Amino acid sequence: MKSVVIAIAAALGLASAAVAQPYPSRPITVIVPFAAGGPTDVVARIVGEHMSKTLGQQVIVENVAGAGGTTGITRGAGSAPDGYTIMMGHMGTHGAAPALYPKLKYDPTKDFAPIGLAAGTPILIVAKKDFPAKDLKEFIAYLKANGSKVNEAHAGVGSVSFTTCTMLNAMLGVKPTLVAYRGTGPSLNDLVGGQVDFMCDQIVNLTEQIKAGAIKAYAIATPERSPALPDLPTTKEAGLPDYQVSAWNALFAPKGTPKEVVAKLNDALVKALDDEATRKRLHDLGGVIPDKAGRTPQYLQTFVESEVARWTPILKAAGATAN
Amino acid sequence: MQGEEAGASRVRAPQDVAAGLFLVAIAALGLWQGAELSAGSLGQVGPGMLPRALAALTGLCGAVLVMQAFASPGARLARWPLRGPLFILGAAVAFGLTVRPLGLAVAGPLVVLIGAMASRETRWIEAVVFAAVMTALCVGLFKFALGLPIPVAPWAIGY
Amino acid sequence: MGDLAANLSLGFATALTLQNLGLCFLGCLVGTLIGVLPGVGPIATIAMLLPLTFKVDPTGALIMLAGIYYGAQYGGSTTAILVNIPGEATSVVTVLDGHEMAKQGRAGVALGIAAIGSFIAGTAATLVIAALGAPLTRLALLFGPAEYFSLMVLGLAFAVVLARGSVLKAVAMIVLGLLLSTVGTDLETGEERLTFGLADLSDGIDFAVLAMGVFGFAEVLRNLESPETRDVVRGKLGRLLPSLDDFKRCLWPIARGTGLGAALGILPGNGAVLGPFAAYTLEKRIAREPQRFGRGAIEGVAGPESANNAGAQTAFIPLLTLGIPPNAVMALMVGAMTIHGVIPGPQVMTKNPGLFWGMIASMWIGNLVLLIINLPLIGLWVRLLKVPYRLMFPAILLFCCIGIYSINNNPADVLLTAFFGFSGYLLYKFGFEPAPLLLGFVLGRLLEEKLRQALVLSRGSFAAFVERPLSAALLAVALVTLVVAVLPAVRKSREEAFQE
Repeated sequence: MKSVVIAIAAALGLASAAVAQPYPSRPITVIVPFAAGGPTDVVARIVGEHMSKTLGQQVIVENVAGAGGTTGITRGAGSAPDGYTIMMGHMGTHGAAPALYPKLKYDPTKDFAPIGLAAGTPILIVAKKDFPAKDLKEFIAYLKANGSKVNEAHAGVGSVSFTTCTMLNAMLGVKPTLVAYRGTGPSLNDLVGGQVDFMCDQIVNLTEQIKAGAIKAYAIATPERSPALPDLPTTKEAGLPDYQVSAWNALFAPKGTPKEVVAKLNDALVKALDDEATRKRLHDLGGVIPDKAGRTPQYLQTFVESEVARWTPILKAAGATAN
Repeated sequence: MQGEEAGASRVRAPQDVAAGLFLVAIAALGLWQGAELSAGSLGQVGPGMLPRALAALTGLCGAVLVMQAFASPGARLARWPLRGPLFILGAAVAFGLTVRPLGLAVAGPLVVLIGAMASRETRWIEAVVFAAVMTALCVGLFKFALGLPIPVAPWAIGY
Repeated sequence: MGDLAANLSLGFATALTLQNLGLCFLGCLVGTLIGVLPGVGPIATIAMLLPLTFKVDPTGALIMLAGIYYGAQYGGSTTAILVNIPGEATSVVTVLDGHEMAKQGRAGVALGIAAIGSFIAGTAATLVIAALGAPLTRLALLFGPAEYFSLMVLGLAFAVVLARGSVLKAVAMIVLGLLLSTVGTDLETGEERLTFGLADLSDGIDFAVLAMGVFGFAEVLRNLESPETRDVVRGKLGRLLPSLDDFKRCLWPIARGTGLGAALGILPGNGAVLGPFAAYTLEKRIAREPQRFGRGAIEGVAGPESANNAGAQTAFIPLLTLGIPPNAVMALMVGAMTIHGVIPGPQVMTKNPGLFWGMIASMWIGNLVLLIINLPLIGLWVRLLKVPYRLMFPAILLFCCIGIYSINNNPADVLLTAFFGFSGYLLYKFGFEPAPLLLGFVLGRLLEEKLRQALVLSRGSFAAFVERPLSAALLAVALVTLVVAVLPAVRKSREEAFQE
């Protein structure tokens, strides 16, 4: 009797595979491991909206925030590898996480089928309005001379502002006093109010403040100037060429997702990144869209490996862990 | 203070004694869990300082409450029927455990039916119909009208 | 002044187009209906409804979102009054007297005065924003960590005053709330605190989880145990709207609440949460019969609800003028704006005046729409109370579960809520009030964050709190409030001791 049941089940299974629906046959969920409204969420929604059109199925954003983004990624990594659950990872979850979270439940280089890079947001070095330095060189000199008397704000251990400034401090060999805030809003607020001295953060949070003169910006850590802030020199021009950081965002699928599915998703992503309207919206945020070479899954895989290799020694040396 | 000698060993506010002991227990739990955290110094406040100080304060409040219970009259301890908590909280737990693997289609009726068991006034056929209607309503409202990413029946329709 | 008139007329011209009016109406309606569901607070509502706004142009989308926000706020107050479940921090105060009024058959009156008070507060707040928005922001920037800490201490003093029964038990609950707020990841070192090793606690306890558990589930448990008290709610229907007398009584509380809420809402960093507490404390302090408070005093609903709405409106100021969101809901708005291509910042006012003033005008219109929508709905809600409890409570349970799940799509949150539900039941059995617990919890996170930031900035010196004038002033007021609150209780127990 049991063998008959098994045989029937197998036949049904084969039959359903034979008449398998083409991918995608139902809505796709993108897990964004941060609260709605933040930069990664915004990028995911903008890109996802266009991808819906190409794929012919709705792309729904599911926010699963927590533990610096690792909660959402852990859940995504453990989902069924059928292409209906993907995630938007970023520099923190797939670059800095192994160093920051010793008990991390996933390996960014092994547990995912990378789809492709989406828009990244460049990092800026900004300071309060009346900070005694005119440009990056003076800023660095001031930091080196005054060490712990300078107050650096960050949005919490594990946040982008924390990890990127940790790298800056390590590079310069300085140890400013760290003032922790719960999120970007409060930290930016105190920077504008002059309560703290400087911070490193994503351009999207800062553009308007800089334009209005509420805070000062010293440099942008990308090879080229940003169209959103054309007067801001790059770190290369301003004298710190090694500081190249951007909060990149990328789409990942769980390990084992079939290659054709990944290819379809990558195709939709690339089309979204090529679409004029989408590009405009991303550029308005200050986002940097990867060039043709940087949009393949293979590039993403190599990139993730290099990011992990880059962040791990710096963060470990700084002794930062977020448990 | 003659009334006091007789009252010293007589608990005049049993509810307060229980309340106070409850607070002391929580304080102890908090202090135990926070034991490994460094308190730092007043100048450099560490992660453990506030939790431990607050736990200690909670325990203090509890102790004062217990002492007060011997001094001034207060409420008696009420009865503790367990049927309500068991089924209401059980319903929530059932929801939590089943919503992702089995979806709202299963979790919804479970909540309504298990919860209904908590009340003696429940009429069973009415409850079953109500469960089906409420679940359908919620699925329609949350999943389809609002687009909430909540699983409906992953074992049947895949999402 | 002429400038103001010109700007407002631009704003109204933008807001009164058929499309924008329609979007405002839709937003308010949907926001109210979803916000009424127990367990679903404003953040969850806005996040859920955000995609609906993608099809519309930026100005229209923001108007709709603002409508959803106010609607959700008001819907939350409705749930607080009718079912004793606060949807978010600002509704905790409303449950105190609001639900008591409902139990006395005056639910309609409570809902009505909340709607009217909110409308008046909203109108006043809109004028404040229009006239004083920019200069007020500069004032708000004076608030550094030390000032915030002192403000939170003041809030704690309010929380003590809020207590209905034993002061000692209220203090114990506040302290316990503070303790619960420390659960999670340490801000400076990233270490986990009091999480018992559970990954789901590593980001701390969510307010909604605690509130749903300690209020929502515990309330259901209470009602199941004592059917007699529960039936009183459904027995009397009473009047559906406040009488002229009620209204006259509430005029000053509404005015005071509006002032307090508007002032506190401007502070970037969620100062708005203190508005209702401050209003309630003030009304209780100056009332001729303070013992009415906690037992259904209408001023206890009018004042806080006005403060609530005024704060909700002025909370837009830091967002519209600085581009910095003061709380999680505003952060969501920022995201929504960004998606629609409007990057909020100091220059929105000058670069995009149609949007800026249109939003402000639509704030007022939204308040009007809310009033128009909700007054008739009051009859519906009150009649809903007549549904037999054996059907109502499973429905409440279901909505709570879905609402909690929707916060972070995490089933563990529902389990945690059940745990707090049990704790809430215990608290009730031990004679503790849940409201001070929630207040302590809400204030705790900000309190600790600001304390530690201030100490880092002052390099360990506590003098900073008293050296800075604003901070010292706030602490002084807190001290006075506390002394005045505790003194009668101390005097009473000494009298008792003497009588022995």
